Amino acid sequence: MIRAVWQLRLGRICIVVLTLIALLGILGPMLAPYGPNDQDVAVMLQGPSAAHWLGTDDLGRDVLSRLLAGSTLSLVAALEAVGIGLVLGVLPGLLSMVFGRIFEWVSLRVMDALITLPFMVFAVAMTALLGNGLHQAMFAVGLLVAPAFYRITRAAAMTVIGSSFVEAARLTGLSELAVIRRHVWPKVAPAIAVTTASMLGTGLVVVSSLTFLGIGIVPPEPTWGGMMATDLNFLYQKPWGPLVPAALIIITVAALSGLADALRDATGQSGRSLISARRAKQARAKAARNAGGPVAPAGRPDDRSTVDA
Amino acid sequence: MVTVLGGQTTDVAPGVPAVGDGPTSPGTGGSGPGRTRALHGVTGLLRWVVRTLLVVVPVFLFATFVTFVLGAVSDLSPAGVVLGDAATPEQVAEVEARFGLDKPVVVQYLDWLGGLLHGDLGQSWFNGISVSEQIGQRLEVSGSVAGLALIIGVVGGVTLGLLAALTRGSWIDRSITVVCTFIATIPPFVMAMALIVVFCVAIPLLPSAGYVSPTVDVGRWLACIILPALALSADVVADIARQLRTGLVSAYQENYVTGALVRGLSPRRILFKHVLRNGSGPAITTLGLRIPALIGGAVVTESIFAMPGYGRFAAEGALRGDVPVVQGALVVAIVLVLAFNLVINAMLVRLRPVAGRGI
Repeated sequence: MIRAVWQLRLGRICIVVLTLIALLGILGPMLAPYGPNDQDVAVMLQGPSAAHWLGTDDLGRDVLSRLLAGSTLSLVAALEAVGIGLVLGVLPGLLSMVFGRIFEWVSLRVMDALITLPFMVFAVAMTALLGNGLHQAMFAVGLLVAPAFYRITRAAAMTVIGSSFVEAARLTGLSELAVIRRHVWPKVAPAIAVTTASMLGTGLVVVSSLTFLGIGIVPPEPTWGGMMATDLNFLYQKPWGPLVPAALIIITVAALSGLADALRDATGQSGRSLISARRAKQARAKAARNAGGPVAPAGRPDDRSTVDA
Repeated sequence: MVTVLGGQTTDVAPGVPAVGDGPTSPGTGGSGPGRTRALHGVTGLLRWVVRTLLVVVPVFLFATFVTFVLGAVSDLSPAGVVLGDAATPEQVAEVEARFGLDKPVVVQYLDWLGGLLHGDLGQSWFNGISVSEQIGQRLEVSGSVAGLALIIGVVGGVTLGLLAALTRGSWIDRSITVVCTFIATIPPFVMAMALIVVFCVAIPLLPSAGYVSPTVDVGRWLACIILPALALSADVVADIARQLRTGLVSAYQENYVTGALVRGLSPRRILFKHVLRNGSGPAITTLGLRIPALIGGAVVTESIFAMPGYGRFAAEGALRGDVPVVQGALVVAIVLVLAFNLVINAMLVRLRPVAGRGI
């Protein structure tokens, strides 16, 4: 799957960008020239200089160092949320195909209930009720992205589970679990990969929004969203302040949604089976001639329609 | 807000009596004469309403119960908020009894649910003022912003999506797609700050914070809500435009469009009666999926623009550990989302009867 994505130009760009950002998250704290919470009142709210490449904030803390230290927290939080969503969505999704009607009905209703909850309000409420911590907030976010995984898993599994080769496999005495592992999973995995990529983008946006509000973090701890909240208070003195954290968030989200598109193309879920880069190019040119422009990228209804088709 | 949605349906509505157009349009479904079809529509809609209620009511009960149990198991207590650290156990018990917290959780939930039916969401632990009253006062602020955001989102999204679909393949289409893809990656709070930098700091045109009621001054009201609404709607515009474009372009490739062309129907008639009706489903679904984000987005935009709205109320309540406020805010959000889902689903059913079969 990864090789097929690498063959696409879009996929290559996105993988490179995401690798760089991941490196930033892993090595960031080590690369930082100053401690993220070191204050130096002599250099408050300064512009970029040789000593402070991205300037300083209102307490004289080095913006670059805080940004690097904050990248780990922001990225890990998004990963954690999507990981929780993956487990809470995919497992019930697969089990609902196996465990009979009652489990199916109950799980469907629970997912319906979760999907009506507004993201931000629910995440805010959960952190209020469970205590103000990033893990609580991420659990809430994970719970909210679970329905997307649940639905995509069911939609993809549904196409296989009723087919005659699965029935034949069952008749030969293959256990339910083996059927899922051998026949259903290969069909479901690409769909889940696409959803994971696009949900990571959503997760990052929610994480940054929450930390922006000051929910889920204890103040001196740096995050991309939290830094922008500080910048908001000093927009009139430093209007370019939020530029770099904002750019980092946007680039990461864009790369993730690009990766979701590339995954969808590479796994033939967008109706185009593109194996080599050349054929990808040809097909894109052809699609542009027929339909005009690149096919619109991720979006939940899109996901569903592509799997249903 | 509903009138806005209605305004959009009128674009599509000419497709409804189009049964006479014959078998080329699969969206029209049934083959009988107009009247029986309309009757079918009514009973179908009724059945759909009943079925929807059967889904919505358990969902509502489940969601509220979860929030309530979470509130009960959290060790938050009004005593901590009201009395502070130096409270005696007797005082704590007295305060908890006043808020009804000495009863079992299930009784508390039923009490709360009973109050809910009368529009009573309990009292804030922090200042003892009725939660529903406080939310009611603030809904005007959030309603103004979300309403304007919805108008901008639908009008902007439909305009861009239509334009892109009608000029498909041209540079206009491509630039719309690129711009929308870019906008969709920008989180609302980043957009809000960008707007403040441009319209408040660089060109001091609009206020960067605050709210003025339209009953006081309509001009200043608009000036206050336009930036938050723009920040909230950017996502919606981009999403609707992309979904509408994709839907319309694929509808244009269907055989019934070729058929309609061959029969010499005008491009406008093809667009309104065949393509829009069949191609706008995904866009409307997207709008439905975006509604929770619009309502939830209030939490962030209201904090940025310092507006005394419902979202900021919820965020502040959360940071203070004010459980009734948080629960009340969540209930209002759930009710709003469910109501909008009903509207969206009704529109989808009207547009494509097939959609009514599986909720």
